[in-house]
Amino acid sequence: MDTLSTQKTGCPLMEVQGIAQRKNGRKLLEGVSLDLCPGQLLALIGPSGGGKSTLLRLLNRLDEMTAGRILLRGDDIRQLPVTELRRKVAMVMQKPVMFAGSVLQNLQSPFALRREPPPVADSPQLNQVLELCGLNQDFLGRPAEQLSIGQQQRVSLARALLTEPQLLLLDEPTSALDRPAADRLGELLYRLCRQRQIAVLMITHDLRLAERIADWVVFLQGGELIEQGKVEILKAPQTAELQQFLDDPELIREQTEEPA
Amino acid sequence: MIDLSYFDLFLVYGLILLAAGLIRLRGGEVRSLLVSAARMGVQLFAVGYVLHLVFAIKSAALVLLILLVMGGMAVHTVAGRVREKMPHFYRVVGSAMLVGCGGGTFYFCLLVIGLDPWYEPRYLIPLAGMIIGNSMTGASLAAERLGEEIRARQDQIETALCLGASARQASQESVNNAFRAALIPSVNAMATMGIVFLPGMMTGQILSGTEPIIAVKYQIAIMCVITGSVAVTSLLILQQGVKNYFTAYDQLVLPEKER
Repeated sequence: MDTLSTQKTGCPLMEVQGIAQRKNGRKLLEGVSLDLCPGQLLALIGPSGGGKSTLLRLLNRLDEMTAGRILLRGDDIRQLPVTELRRKVAMVMQKPVMFAGSVLQNLQSPFALRREPPPVADSPQLNQVLELCGLNQDFLGRPAEQLSIGQQQRVSLARALLTEPQLLLLDEPTSALDRPAADRLGELLYRLCRQRQIAVLMITHDLRLAERIADWVVFLQGGELIEQGKVEILKAPQTAELQQFLDDPELIREQTEEPA
Repeated sequence: MIDLSYFDLFLVYGLILLAAGLIRLRGGEVRSLLVSAARMGVQLFAVGYVLHLVFAIKSAALVLLILLVMGGMAVHTVAGRVREKMPHFYRVVGSAMLVGCGGGTFYFCLLVIGLDPWYEPRYLIPLAGMIIGNSMTGASLAAERLGEEIRARQDQIETALCLGASARQASQESVNNAFRAALIPSVNAMATMGIVFLPGMMTGQILSGTEPIIAVKYQIAIMCVITGSVAVTSLLILQQGVKNYFTAYDQLVLPEKER
């Protein structure tokens, strides 16, 4: 665990306690517990259909868990108004979604939805986030839907960051990116955690990236948390399941993948 | 109005036989034509005798009962047309049709025409039939489109939810698109009215001896009422229906696909 940031705040940002999700009697997730601290970058790995996205969607209450509880700074998330929760726990989906309009309008959309004054084009707040996400003022006027996928991904990240979340949930942020772009995004996430003390929970199939930037790794398979620990477990797994996954991630993925 | 004798009907059914002959000549299948033609005769005579009876009895309760049965049949028809039914489909569509069509019918018959007695079946039943029939089309389009829109826009809706949108905000675009789709037939019908074809009600009135200008005024009036009813019915369906796609905690719940 990132002891430095834990000391700073005294308590974890988010505590996940034995959560489960069932749908139509089918077990999607069972008995998952983990902690997240400010400034921590957690990589969520495992075969497809293993429960990674299911877990992510429970953390900002996009879906309802069927057992267990989740605490955000000590408060049960079910006690928080859901819009309040989602402002503190931002999520960027695997496929970036741009709303019709310019990049600036997209970046301002969370504020418009909440009827709050949005950051204006040359505000320090906006410039900082743009720079952090590898964007600049030139992008602001462009139609967002015409950007490349990689650019859209950065815009959706910037859009989520502008509302200053405490925890950022990312579903395979690098899946649509080539190697250099994926590495740049990795750098960006690393800086986010270290500089802004935002906690990041990232689903990824990119084990190389996880190894480079994550400081905690969680391995899910068959809806259960098989193993978690410092990033070193990627080098020396404690369980046979993780070893097998690391040996051949594709093999397990094919075995467990469900027809869409 | 010149009455048609049963021999006259025999003459026109002869044209059906002619059509059947032509179909057979082309190697086609005659059965469905004959069954349809027979059904038409039986069904229309049945309706005719019911109306004859209702006009004679002039009972408010009976007229209301007939209107309710028509509404029920309409909801049933909508259910058959819409493949992807929203949660609580019957409740949503039924109440919307009741308000939209009931409101439109009585607005027209009581306030505009000023029927006396208010349940005068000669006016109320055919006018309600036209309003219900058109609202049925609007309701089908609205309900069908809403399901499609929500499913197609799942990512967009959930992204908006993640950014702090309420369920209502996140689904606004889907509702607006479905609403526009529901109104298209009424708008198109008004635009082409009188140019491409003479509308049925007007034709009927003229045939039965009504002054053409009066028939025109009635046709304009019924089209306006139909458009209003379609708008109210489909918007109610959309606003009530869209809520059922979300939980109280702004979570999108898509029903399992049928089949």
